[in-house]
Amino acid sequence: MVKIYTTPTCVYCKTLIEYLKKHSVDFEVIDVSKDEKQLEVMIKDSGQMGVPVVDIDGEIIVGFDKEKIDKLLKIN
Amino acid sequence: MIYDLIIIGAGPAGISAAIYSARQKLNFLIISKDVGGQVAKKAVDIGNYPGFAKISGPDLAKVFEEQLKENEIEIALDEVLKIEKKENKFFISTKSGNTYETLALIIATGSDPRPLEVEGEKEFIGKGVSYCALCDGPVFKNKTVAVIGGGNSGFETASFLSNYVSKIYILESSDKVIADKENQDIVLKLGKAEVTTNAKVLNIKGDNFVKSLTYKDTKSSQEKKLDVSGVFIEIGYLPATAFVKNLVDFSDRDEIITDLETYVTKTPGIFAAGDCNKGKYKQIIAAAGEGAKAALSAYDYILKTKP
Repeated sequence: MVKIYTTPTCVYCKTLIEYLKKHSVDFEVIDVSKDEKQLEVMIKDSGQMGVPVVDIDGEIIVGFDKEKIDKLLKIN
Repeated sequence: MIYDLIIIGAGPAGISAAIYSARQKLNFLIISKDVGGQVAKKAVDIGNYPGFAKISGPDLAKVFEEQLKENEIEIALDEVLKIEKKENKFFISTKSGNTYETLALIIATGSDPRPLEVEGEKEFIGKGVSYCALCDGPVFKNKTVAVIGGGNSGFETASFLSNYVSKIYILESSDKVIADKENQDIVLKLGKAEVTTNAKVLNIKGDNFVKSLTYKDTKSSQEKKLDVSGVFIEIGYLPATAFVKNLVDFSDRDEIITDLETYVTKTPGIFAAGDCNKGKYKQIIAAAGEGAKAALSAYDYILKTKP
């Protein structure tokens, strides 16, 4: 299960979403500017306040860290 | 495979260079960590780019990206770590471990936000300290924040943040704000910002997240503490040029020095366009124009040197 915490104006979120789409990864997008409960979850799980945050089966990645994302999703 | 040209960066300069290179049918590649560069992170609308009376930064970046797709230009999402020159070729190593070989290079990496260099700044990056209000601003809903820098970027940031936060302190270290009157009026009208001049930030403190900021009033020498959850730093930019340091000359601001007509650096085959070079006017349209000119002069160079 892949979840992405985003804001509508975040450029790295867009790059990340495009990237995952290109590699046919299914994911859920959570807009934390609209959902305060999920924002709290994101801050608690990631220990920080920046977006994007990616949750890959419970593994939390802060930012568009391509290397880590590739590894966890087995993208070559 | 040896590329004719590699363009590093995909802001307005890099994208414009790519469009020209596609039309010249060069065998080229763009390497960039993102698409749109600073344009995509701009907090307020753009009104000085021909063709668009008013467009948001992310929307303009999207139009740029669509034009790349239209020309079937692909971007390698990666970060350049090192460039080496051997004979007349350049070898580029990237963060993801790839090496590329090319005859010519256009550096269009723009610039990164300039850090404040105070205690607590690095420690709290992502934990309240941000250089991208557009990315992180909405996360600070109903919070009190500080914007450091009383220039246009600072006021544009404050005007964007006004959509979300409850209160903004704008701190300027000199004795007057230098933002345009128009930007100042917008922020004033939004009614959430308090502007303080002669405010030199001393430190940023907190536990897991930012809790406060201390500044010194340089007139009275008094130290003052502000309770804030966020600190947005907008004190200018640093050219993102460290990876090329052995092959080009820099200005005292770390900008790459180029010829002003061909945009070639001191190393033949390496060109630099946009905000990363010494050009005085850091504008989207200027960067795009330089990208075009750098691409055309790179094309001339490639024709002459191609085996």
